[in-house]
Amino acid sequence: MTSDEHPPTDAAVGLGTPKRLGEAEQSFVDTWHENATGCFSSGHKFCREVCPVTQVTRNENHTPTAFHSNVIALEKGHLDVEDVADDYVHCTQCGGCEVRCPNTLMVGDFYRARTQTVKVVRAMRALMVDKGLDRENWKIWNRLTNELKNEPVLGVTGDQPNGQAQVRDWAQGLDIPIGGDTILFVDCEAAYYRTSIPRATAQILQLAGYEFGLMNEQWCCGGPAAEMGYVEQSMRFARHNIDDWRKSDVKRIIAIEPHDYVHFTEDYPSYFGDEFDFEVVQIIDLVAELIRDGRLKLTTPIERVVTYHDPCRLNKRKGIHEAPREILRAIPGLTFKDVDRVTQWSYCSGGGGGLPIEKPEITAEISRRRLEKAAELQVDTLVSACVWSERPLSAAGDDIGIDVKDIIELVAESAGIEIGGRTRP
Amino acid sequence: MTITTIDAMILDRLHAILDEDGAVLTNKSSRFNRARVPAPFPVHRWEEFIPDVVVLPRTTEHVAQIVRLANEFAIPIVPRAGGTGLADGAVPMRGGIVVDIKRMDQIKEIDLVNNTVTVGPGINMQTLNRSLKPHGVIYPDDPASYACALVGGRIGTSGLSLLGARYGHTRDLVISFEIVTPTGEVIEVGDGGGRKIRKSSTGYHLKHLFMGHQGTLGIVTEATLELVPRAEAEFAAFFLFEDYDTAYRTFANLAKSGLATLGGVMMFDPEKVDYLRRDDEAYIIQPEWVKAVCAASLFGTKIEVEAAAPKVMELGRSLGGRYIGDEIASGDWAARHDRYANPLHGRDKNGNVTPMSWHCEDAAIPYSEVPAVLRKWHTIARKYCDQYDIFDDWGAFQYTNGAHKPWADVLVEIDMGLWEDRMDEESWQAFVSLKREIAQVAIDHGGSMSSCHGATRAGDAELVPTEMGASWEVMKTIKRALDPNNVMNPGKQSLDEAYRKVTR
Repeated sequence: MTSDEHPPTDAAVGLGTPKRLGEAEQSFVDTWHENATGCFSSGHKFCREVCPVTQVTRNENHTPTAFHSNVIALEKGHLDVEDVADDYVHCTQCGGCEVRCPNTLMVGDFYRARTQTVKVVRAMRALMVDKGLDRENWKIWNRLTNELKNEPVLGVTGDQPNGQAQVRDWAQGLDIPIGGDTILFVDCEAAYYRTSIPRATAQILQLAGYEFGLMNEQWCCGGPAAEMGYVEQSMRFARHNIDDWRKSDVKRIIAIEPHDYVHFTEDYPSYFGDEFDFEVVQIIDLVAELIRDGRLKLTTPIERVVTYHDPCRLNKRKGIHEAPREILRAIPGLTFKDVDRVTQWSYCSGGGGGLPIEKPEITAEISRRRLEKAAELQVDTLVSACVWSERPLSAAGDDIGIDVKDIIELVAESAGIEIGGRTRP
Repeated sequence: MTITTIDAMILDRLHAILDEDGAVLTNKSSRFNRARVPAPFPVHRWEEFIPDVVVLPRTTEHVAQIVRLANEFAIPIVPRAGGTGLADGAVPMRGGIVVDIKRMDQIKEIDLVNNTVTVGPGINMQTLNRSLKPHGVIYPDDPASYACALVGGRIGTSGLSLLGARYGHTRDLVISFEIVTPTGEVIEVGDGGGRKIRKSSTGYHLKHLFMGHQGTLGIVTEATLELVPRAEAEFAAFFLFEDYDTAYRTFANLAKSGLATLGGVMMFDPEKVDYLRRDDEAYIIQPEWVKAVCAASLFGTKIEVEAAAPKVMELGRSLGGRYIGDEIASGDWAARHDRYANPLHGRDKNGNVTPMSWHCEDAAIPYSEVPAVLRKWHTIARKYCDQYDIFDDWGAFQYTNGAHKPWADVLVEIDMGLWEDRMDEESWQAFVSLKREIAQVAIDHGGSMSSCHGATRAGDAELVPTEMGASWEVMKTIKRALDPNNVMNPGKQSLDEAYRKVTR
């Protein structure tokens, strides 16, 4: 490349002169410089084809590579937060890019180093909130969450029955105590939208004689707020929840939802340090154990031909992929057509990271493609283990005649439980 | 010289052509993110390589209309596929329009009768092969960047496949393609005519003219590719050596074995082994006496590969090579794409660990010349490492270069670490001159300065006329004839010379 041949341009948008960074940007750049350099200085882009959003938009701005490259451009004063704000909306925080990154693959085994992209996206979104550049639908969502103390999963307009008054409605007739050593934390989408999941979960645990209770006052976990950049709100909600647990002398939290599990095992410890001394259990691990130990007997055959959707936060973020397969293989009558977890690094529902709130059309297309993959296997059912994935996947499944079930629902049916509740309002 | 004038009228015309939200991008992040390809990059001069507008077409007709518009107003136009090339082919030198073809990623036809697949140029090989798997066939173009390179870029650079000895390289595997010429005509090029014809004696063989055009002769909009039966069996063996020379002779014995299932033969020189030993976290410790490595792979039917594997073992050991063991051999071969990632650190002169970017200089060298070329390359590298404390010699590897004919010329690559954070104009120019010296050695020894990356980055680009010799005049004539206004990726490969006024 030679510089002397480049004439002045008359661009539609001027490039301007490099700017000095403000304090918030400088801190962002200082935090992420080394991580970004690891990507920028190689530029392999192995992440691009696994990225569920990029697969749909085919726009290089939405690639994990761009998310890192922008850090360098910010540092050099070429771009500012406003320039890149919309780009960072295009992410489900699935973590596929992180596991596919050759830098992670080649040094990760030895040093547990992992290219961090999800955290970069979240940090940028926090900057956007600071600067009033957060997206309109996210503002509404988080304002309502703040008012209701739970996410407005049934809609952001009009009166919706999803405030604190209804947070335990799903449990009607199940006779679940408040408090105890172990708490079942029920995600907002499950508590109000797909109530069949918490009902199935609770009844499975009761059947297996596993004691648990509910919170005095369960607020949203705060995870979605953190994903969209509303850090203060996320921390405030987290504080409420751990205070509530402390009040009941809780030792153990069962997360029935993968996003919550990530939030409890990563964000809460980072918010509270040593104060956070709770044991966090993912329901899939627990149910697999109950089946393995013979405490839960699956006897009712489920005559379905299924494939399993590895929820991103279980598979790509937390490495949980064996337990759900173990569970599915234990269900009698089921024909299970598996797709390996590595192939599924490039699969997603599009339901995470606030994407469906701000870019629902991209979420719908990601889910459509996921169901198309399922259809190639000639299955009648796609099984997931993440309630947030199940809404967009179900919508896509309706279009091509494939049922979307939660793995816990199938377990409950196979254990002879009449679940009750609903899979959609 | 082409002058960029992207004004509101041009943008309106582009919007009218594409007629889709988000398909004409003028915002800064869209442009900065399409100014670069893998490192190293003169990041201190990033703003010099920014396109004025990025377009995301979906059809051949879109591309043709955009190119006609660019040609009408003499606006530079640069095609961009994966942006994973190692020689800046997709980097706009003079602003203008970047045509990002990633949305043209459809599989248009899988023809299992004639064993072809027709695709848009924006599809990735791994993605394509996932769709082909149920049919028992594969498109075996297998570069290190298998997981991210796109078909359009493979044609643009005339890429090398790691399985080239067995299945051929990109130019052998792309049967024909559709390309929009710099004046906006849509043509199909093959050996002769016929989209699915592999060999012809009609007309000029235009496929080869446009193969590896580096974006200077048009924009590929569709390609018809070879489908081969998926290999039933795969075998890889790595052998360890006490010195370069024995490994080098073993390389030849394997390459000349005549085994039709040979996928390729590879070797690491002592500098590469040293580097892996000192700085590669993924390196599996080998005894100190190991100074060089040679490896071979086989692909084919079970009956062929099972019979050929013992021959590979015999040849690999014939001069004293020691087999590395099944686990490392199969693991290292399986990781051939991910190993594309080098450790992101090297050493300064005092041996301190420093963060570094990876640069890889490739050349095609006659087998007989390889040892001499490597000696000169490492001498040049050492000189620059001594003079500028931002470089590190990460050693060289070699790979069989000829499609179906692995026994002669060799792809040789030297990897260099660069402390990019320290890059300023002086060290960038030092890097360019390092490249130039390395390229000159390749030419001096009867080689080509690039086997697969392309001679489009500064340092190489100036030497294209030297390497082409008398045929440079023909090349300029062709460029001028097809691209009268020098709109197509201008400033690359010294092709501006085609437009200089001749004084008689």
